[in-house]
Amino acid sequence: MPSNGGYAVAAYVVAAVIIVGYAISLFRRSR
Amino acid sequence: MNSDSDAGAGPIRRGRVLILVGLIGLAGIYLMAWRFTPAERFQGLAQKIFYIHPPAAYTSELAYVLAGISSVLFLLLKDERFDTFAAASAEVGLVFGAVLLTTGPIWAKPIWGAWWTWDARLTFSLILFLLFAGYFALRSAIREPAERARYAAVVAAMGMLLVPFIHLTVYLFNTTHPQPVVVQTGKPALPPEMLRTFLASFAVFTVLYLGMVMTRFGIGARRVALEVADAE
Repeated sequence: MPSNGGYAVAAYVVAAVIIVGYAISLFRRSR
Repeated sequence: MNSDSDAGAGPIRRGRVLILVGLIGLAGIYLMAWRFTPAERFQGLAQKIFYIHPPAAYTSELAYVLAGISSVLFLLLKDERFDTFAAASAEVGLVFGAVLLTTGPIWAKPIWGAWWTWDARLTFSLILFLLFAGYFALRSAIREPAERARYAAVVAAMGMLLVPFIHLTVYLFNTTHPQPVVVQTGKPALPPEMLRTFLASFAVFTVLYLGMVMTRFGIGARRVALEVADAE
């Protein structure tokens, strides 16, 4: 099995940063 | 249109709850994907990107299509709530479009050996993202609300027409992008443990979309109420 776990971790981190970052922005803007 | 100070409060309240539920669900998907779903033999751990990339594609396309439909309804009915919803859905579409366009190349590098190819599906997905980014550039360039809504609605309606075309790209063109593995004739080509995580991810992304679009709709409705109050 190829060892490319770093790419998968990077993708999950990037997705979480975008989604959670936007959620925080919405919470702030809706105050 | 409600021009009270609490305009948009209901959707904001419900949307925030859904966002929180969605974020908890997203954490659950991460746990399921890494802890309880086996790694694929040929692609290795990079295949796990599959649990976020297609759901992000579906959510962004759903958002763009609903923004387009809402824009057409605005042009037909002239109800500003449709414009508010279109802007909300387009913004959420851009967020999931950003997830799509970042996770795709991160998967492509170890599997294809290149971050990006000018493949039909990739290129059209990028064009659609840029089109909706242009939609917001247009909105911010026009100050008069009715004119802004009308022009923006035409852009979103045109953007919506690209979505079915993106789906057809893997059939119409000789592309490097994988063919569907779940939605296909016969049984999905996925073992049950992978299919379970994959479908759960679609459900969580749908909840996130609903929560985000409701909250953003509430914020937009409040902004419209303030514009109306300023004009009076």
